[in-house]
Amino acid sequence: MKARTELIASAAVVMVFAAGPVLSPLAHLDISIVSEVLVTSIAVMSVNLLLGYTGLPAFGNAAYFGLGAYGVALSVKYLDVNFIESILIGIAAAFLGGLILAPFLLRRRGIYFGLLSIAFGQVFYFIAYRYTDVTGGEDGMNVPRPPLALPSAHVAVNELAMYYLALVLFVVAVIMFRGLVRSPFGRTLIAIRQNETRARYLGLNTDRFIFVALLISATMAGLSGAMFALLINFADPLRLDWHQSGYFVLSMILGGAGTVWGSLVGAFIYVIGHDIISTITQWWQIFLGALFVACVLFFPRGILGTVDVLLRRSPQAFTDDDVDAAFEAHAPGEVGRGV
Amino acid sequence: MIEHIGPQLFNGLVLGAFYAIVALGLSLIMNLTGTINMAHGSFMTLAGYLAFTMVSRGTSFWFALIAAPLIAVIVGVIVERTLVRPLYKREPFYSLLMTFGLSLMAEEIYRLIWGPNGVPFSPPHALDGAASLGFMVFPTFRIFIVVVLIVAIVALALFLTRTRFGLRLRAAVQDSEMIAALGTNTQVLYAVNFGLGIFLAGIAGVLAAGMLGLSPTSGNNLLMPAFVTVIIGGMGSLFGSIVGGLLIGIAISLTTLFIPAASEVSMYILMAVVLMVRPRGLFGEEGIFG
Repeated sequence: MKARTELIASAAVVMVFAAGPVLSPLAHLDISIVSEVLVTSIAVMSVNLLLGYTGLPAFGNAAYFGLGAYGVALSVKYLDVNFIESILIGIAAAFLGGLILAPFLLRRRGIYFGLLSIAFGQVFYFIAYRYTDVTGGEDGMNVPRPPLALPSAHVAVNELAMYYLALVLFVVAVIMFRGLVRSPFGRTLIAIRQNETRARYLGLNTDRFIFVALLISATMAGLSGAMFALLINFADPLRLDWHQSGYFVLSMILGGAGTVWGSLVGAFIYVIGHDIISTITQWWQIFLGALFVACVLFFPRGILGTVDVLLRRSPQAFTDDDVDAAFEAHAPGEVGRGV
Repeated sequence: MIEHIGPQLFNGLVLGAFYAIVALGLSLIMNLTGTINMAHGSFMTLAGYLAFTMVSRGTSFWFALIAAPLIAVIVGVIVERTLVRPLYKREPFYSLLMTFGLSLMAEEIYRLIWGPNGVPFSPPHALDGAASLGFMVFPTFRIFIVVVLIVAIVALALFLTRTRFGLRLRAAVQDSEMIAALGTNTQVLYAVNFGLGIFLAGIAGVLAAGMLGLSPTSGNNLLMPAFVTVIIGGMGSLFGSIVGGLLIGIAISLTTLFIPAASEVSMYILMAVVLMVRPRGLFGEEGIFG
């Protein structure tokens, strides 16, 4: 996509979301659901960075998401924090979690990485589930929204404010994410996905790049989780569970792995779809499972990935996104050893 | 407290034998095709529920113990041929995601058929009592479980080392293209191997239903310890899965005795320690699986 077309398209998307409080009643959507879309897409982006761009099967990002949520929940309950402080504590918790797990995950690639991230991701689930005195265990914790940090007044944060905060955070996240994946750092991550051995022979310390990518990913997921807890005023162990990680991965695939805006598209379909289908039927999980199966079998590029491929049919200059098409086909015919 | 250690160790071994056999099935499938089968727990639950239905319709427990896993195998092979097979040539995480979707569907379908709550499934009266081995008293059913699981593991080992088919399977793990070039139909290998993994899961599922209870999520509860088992034992090593399973079983049962709240966390601490000392796991081979 040409730079100007992309800018116009991006601006249009942001404008539509800026008009969200006016538009969402027309679509019979609660504004907090749209906030949830924006917040969730930041977590999906965090998975996209690892899986879509670096090629690491990140199936444990719910751990960081949940740490963000519990960071907020615990700090609101036990410390006298304001709104911004609680979010910062949530992010710090997720960052620390990443710092603890990264040395273990870092050494492995392919399915071994996947297996490790699933297994280690579950540690925090069991801690939250078991230490009922502090975390409330299975019942979860209520998260009353703390007042915003203003020197003069204790201003309460209402749904509309939450929505615009989520939108601002999302836009900032997208701009930073786009800058990141187009920077030399991001190009290196893509090089690692395509052929790590080659990247190593070029003298790149790939472990160090993956370490930084893991920490960025954990921080983003933590921000998302912190906002999520404040949005729904609740944190429970299921936010830390590997199922939650799977939903992020599904959203990423749905939207398009290795595309900047795919995370928003995927999160939109997942959150809105969940909201609509679960009010119609109680068998939402069967639909969800079928969506996984169908998406993997028939639609592995996702929506924006497919758009990307279609657009590239027309003759145009080579862009950074070209490499993304190589994502799912980069080892054809190879029985998955995850090399 | 001290007098509980003996029985608790035995319980740990029983639990560990479950983890080992689930992990063995996972490893078989993972080693040959690189598929992390997230639906493994669902097949356990399926076999458990099938056995429950058979027994409540009047068939004997012994019949159900064999028939239920076999039906699960048939379902498993159909799933492998139709849904998993197209993904072998793709990145391994696609099959992980697909089987995750299957497990979500399966959980809900079990809920539809057998209800959201657990169902009672008790072992036959012949296995009701307890056996005294002089120094300790063991529930007969748990001894029976250990015997069956040991027989299954030994049978698997003999199959893999003493039959031509097992030999081909192990060769295909090393280099499936070469095996195909030498005239073996690798698709048959993939299907049989998947079925074998499901059969182990099925047997464990029926036995676990009698010991740990049966609910739509009961199989999935064993899945996470089985993953940890594979990591501790070392990916690529079947022997490692057995050792890893027993280690975790003992670790969990002993922490349950002393610090109940930390029972699950203990296996992660064990995993972290093992990975720090041996990054490949106890018996993992260098160079396999990145």
